[in-house]
Amino acid sequence: MTHDERKDSSGQLPDWESRVNALLDGELDEASTEALKLAASKDHELARAIIEAYELQRGMDHLGRETAPASLRKKLQQIPRAQKPLLRQRRWVMATAMACVPLLVIAVMLMQPRQPSAAEVEQARQDVTLAFSYIDKVGFRTGDYLQNVLGAELRHGVTDNISRHFPYTEQSREEENS
Amino acid sequence: MSRRYRQWVKEYQNQAWTLARYLLKDPSEAEDACQEAFVKLWRHQDSIDPDKVRPWLMKVTRNGCLDRLRRRHPTEELKDWRQEDESPGPMKTAEQNEIGQWLKRSVSGLKEPYRSLVILRDIHQHSYDEVAVVLELSLSQVKVYLHRARKQLREQLAEVRP
Repeated sequence: MTHDERKDSSGQLPDWESRVNALLDGELDEASTEALKLAASKDHELARAIIEAYELQRGMDHLGRETAPASLRKKLQQIPRAQKPLLRQRRWVMATAMACVPLLVIAVMLMQPRQPSAAEVEQARQDVTLAFSYIDKVGFRTGDYLQNVLGAELRHGVTDNISRHFPYTEQSREEENS
Repeated sequence: MSRRYRQWVKEYQNQAWTLARYLLKDPSEAEDACQEAFVKLWRHQDSIDPDKVRPWLMKVTRNGCLDRLRRRHPTEELKDWRQEDESPGPMKTAEQNEIGQWLKRSVSGLKEPYRSLVILRDIHQHSYDEVAVVLELSLSQVKVYLHRARKQLREQLAEVRP
């Protein structure tokens, strides 16, 4: 049977490849299996393909019996023991971190600028008022002193050299004269 | 040790090993890849659906192997399995006959994802759905690719046969 002779009654070329695969997978229904058998009985190539497919499958079954080497089996058994210290270590880190959180919160709260109470504000206001009153008093006294000194100098200034009444100026004048 | 983990090791260590062995073709590297996959399984055991452990593990194993292959020098991939497999391997039963040896070489010579498909579906008998999950392919893609892979193997078999 040639490739074209495999056409079914509808004139379509049956997908033998898919059917052989479905047969191997056990997914082929009874009617399709019978049709495949019939086709294989007339088609040497198809029959050979089916035989080879079964041979492959048998070979695959043998390959599937492979077992992991003892060294790997041992390593896989040891994984939980090897991983547990890491987990414990992580737990310690987590616990320490959790314990630090409240301390951190307290520290942040302490570092924030404190709001003064109303009494403290009032006390500060009084202190400032007192300080300003002292400054005013000093200002007045300084003003009086200046007025006294300058007033006297201004009085002497009419009849005498004003620089005579300033110690540094007078000393300089004497030095110049000598 | 977690009883659940121990059970998973017992059930899947051979499958993970076979997959890694076929993909990497190097026993010591395959061992490392398997170990890494099981370490990940141990770490994520609480977040994995117990019904989906096998596809999860196969996916992680395969991805680990593919990462290793990518890091390799391209020519290393072309090494003949027989040259590397000098230790008395676990495939001894299959190797004792001709078709076993031939199959081993042929499967390992397939390109990805055909190789993983054949290993998962034909060697490990995973369901199509599981294979689709592992390889991140659609169900129809899995079927089409698997058909191609099988056909390729059959054609190779026909060439070596008298």
